[in-house]
Amino acid sequence: MNFINRNEISNGVYFSSIKDSRFKTMKISANIIVPLSQETASENALLCGVLSRSCKAYPDFTLLSKKLSSLYGADLATSVVKSGDCQVLRISASGLDDSYAFAGESISRELSSLLCSVIFEPNVSNNAFEEEEVEQERRQLLDLIDSEFNDKRIYANGQLIKNMCANEVFGMKRYGTPEKIKAVTPASLYFTWQNILKTAKFEIIYIGDSSADKAQKVFENAFSNVQRSPSSLRTEVVKSSDDVKHIVENMELSQSKLVMGFRTGTAIPDESVNATRLMCAILGGTASSKLFCNVREKQSLCYYCASRYDSHKGIMTIDSGVEGDNLEKAEKAILKEVEDMKNGIISDFEIEATKMAVVNSFRTSNDTVSGIETWYANQLFNTSFKTVDEISAEINAVTKEDIISAAQRLSLDTVYQLKNK
Amino acid sequence: MSITEIKSKRAGDKYFKIDHLSGLTIYVYPKEGYNSAYAIFGTRYGSINTCFSVDDGAKITVPDGIAHYLEHKLFESEDGDAFVRYAKTGANANAYTSFEKTCYLFSCTDKFDESLEILLDFVQDPYFTAQTVAKEQGIIGQEIKMYDDSPEWRVMFNMLEGMYKHHPVKIDIAGTVDTIAEITADKLYDVYNVFYNLNNMVICVSGNITVEQVLKTADKMLKPSDKRKITNYFEDEPYEINEPYVEQSFPVSMPLFNLGFKEKADRILNEKQLAQTDILLSMIASQTSVLYRNLMDANLINSSFSYELFEGPGYCSVIFGGESRAPKQAAEMIKQYINKLKNQGLDEKDFEIAKKAVYGDIVSSLNSVSSISNAIADYHFNGNEMFAYIDAIADTSFEDVSKRLAEMLDVSNCTLSVVKQLESED
Repeated sequence: MNFINRNEISNGVYFSSIKDSRFKTMKISANIIVPLSQETASENALLCGVLSRSCKAYPDFTLLSKKLSSLYGADLATSVVKSGDCQVLRISASGLDDSYAFAGESISRELSSLLCSVIFEPNVSNNAFEEEEVEQERRQLLDLIDSEFNDKRIYANGQLIKNMCANEVFGMKRYGTPEKIKAVTPASLYFTWQNILKTAKFEIIYIGDSSADKAQKVFENAFSNVQRSPSSLRTEVVKSSDDVKHIVENMELSQSKLVMGFRTGTAIPDESVNATRLMCAILGGTASSKLFCNVREKQSLCYYCASRYDSHKGIMTIDSGVEGDNLEKAEKAILKEVEDMKNGIISDFEIEATKMAVVNSFRTSNDTVSGIETWYANQLFNTSFKTVDEISAEINAVTKEDIISAAQRLSLDTVYQLKNK
Repeated sequence: MSITEIKSKRAGDKYFKIDHLSGLTIYVYPKEGYNSAYAIFGTRYGSINTCFSVDDGAKITVPDGIAHYLEHKLFESEDGDAFVRYAKTGANANAYTSFEKTCYLFSCTDKFDESLEILLDFVQDPYFTAQTVAKEQGIIGQEIKMYDDSPEWRVMFNMLEGMYKHHPVKIDIAGTVDTIAEITADKLYDVYNVFYNLNNMVICVSGNITVEQVLKTADKMLKPSDKRKITNYFEDEPYEINEPYVEQSFPVSMPLFNLGFKEKADRILNEKQLAQTDILLSMIASQTSVLYRNLMDANLINSSFSYELFEGPGYCSVIFGGESRAPKQAAEMIKQYINKLKNQGLDEKDFEIAKKAVYGDIVSSLNSVSSISNAIADYHFNGNEMFAYIDAIADTSFEDVSKRLAEMLDVSNCTLSVVKQLESED
């Protein structure tokens, strides 16, 4: 089991390293965590993209790409996600471990320095980013928002959250709005960059066989010149819902989509998160779950019917794709399974099998570099990092009573239908 | 029974190929220090095998989508569902059907032997009745409709229809609601008995396992099959494409395109040709390329842009695709760039960079037990070997790649498929 070494290298800046000799690659990622807000989300998302395009040493996209390719197809990737009421901007560099280079180059050292350069030494002049770079990234981001509409499962889930959390900051999109993206200027982006270096929480995670000491030093030096005052991060958790909102949208499609949103009353760092996670998996997280066996296999209503628990925000969603005429029938069939969970109609076999499946998925994720990265990145809001074995033990300790209580805390908040016409 | 060790000095790994007495080929790729194992049991039978004969008997034609339907139904046996059996071991199981193969797989961290036993058992034990076949119509019907609403899926199949006049690769893997209505229990048994012969199948296992462990379960579970001659019939496919342009309107806000170059497909590419092609395509269209930069600067593509070599029995093409607000202009720029390279030649510096990038990709993929098992199955079905491909990358010369370019990417033989926005109603 891997050992994680975590140090605070500056106020609110953590450097974690995991030494693992099993892999042919290494990865280092910077997770930049800021409060989610309508005012700043678009600007932050755009910044993340612009930073990863170039830096002082490689001042344009093609030069930086060539540098990465010559490091044996190394990769510099970014992502922007909502995690509760926070926005996490991630920039990561990954590549082959040093021992596989044709001529003994140190790929890991070069990549660590490169990641630090794109964050601290971007291609800026006169207190502004390069206009061309900003325009390219602005167009990409606007395209990305439009493309989310192309995939109707993603779109339907997005519409549910937008309606369900209309009065919470969580109801907004992770990239903000097209209007805000259009309003960003090269100078405003420079201000955002400076501000983020001072106020964001940084979690830098290094996974690889070669030593992380040099990489840590590089980041320590970079942060030693920054006056840090991290903002506080919190998530509003709505514990329950009094009545159910119904939203219907019509579209020219072959299949209708049904998404149901529940308040679970539990979110990180509550102890009952594990019971809720297990309850959700028994209900619709595996191919032997209640929803799969009954709504799909017995009633042949759909191809997919799955539940998902967002432990940061305390929301559970269930989604399915069905025939337009079967929307009501599917909703009833799903609610029947939820009622069964609340009434404790859960066999010992279901509980044991689901515990095994959940633990299996944890331990499997530990066999890839990105799986290990995701494992720790999912715990950025926990009080401390726990290993796969530690959380597996907690899952195995959950009792049937805990699961029933978790089910009884569920309250249906919103039902969204995307109806084919 | 023979066991062959296959080693790669470059990758620092080894695996074993076993010709089992039952007729099955077994590959075992141990990964030290891993928690998990991943097994895949596949047959050389996919959506394109709709017309065939056995031992030179009469030609048999079956409904479109039957290979995929069979994949769903095989999970059921007389005494229950394979997913329920896997639930007792904690394994995560799944299956998929592609154009030329059907694969059943699981990953697990515990109780590997029991899970492998379940896999070998249910795939060798068909059970179809009128009732169980009828039940699946609704489930697969919804799967088909889900894909009908997927613009990525439609843009690709529209392109295949534009490229191929006869070859069944242009037909949707799951068939249509109409063709699957023709599927009966008898027809499922017919195709099962032909293609699920162990001589036509392979199993690949990678992870925290040993050869002895896999063979113990294999010896116990495999039912020997007699070798039979399977002939697949495809109508003669001309070199020329069918249509140069196809489009469909869809509820999307980002239009999409696929530009497919139809290639000669007399036989599957070998390791060397594959390495040359992968390096060539990386030089032409990866993020480091001049083409990528030009397309971006002209606002014709975004980061969704990708390219692939798409190849199987009787079909081969190179596909460039992604989102674009001006697909026709993007396609034109790609064609012009390829023409320019053909006339003026490739750049040797680009070649060196692309070679390293392609090599890095394949070596990195050896981290993952699922990538390893899936890749070995693919190489096996194509008559290739994975480590030979890694060596071929390192050994490829600039001249090889230049020659390869001259043989492929004929800009007068490609199809552009576009999925565009619905016309607004007002």
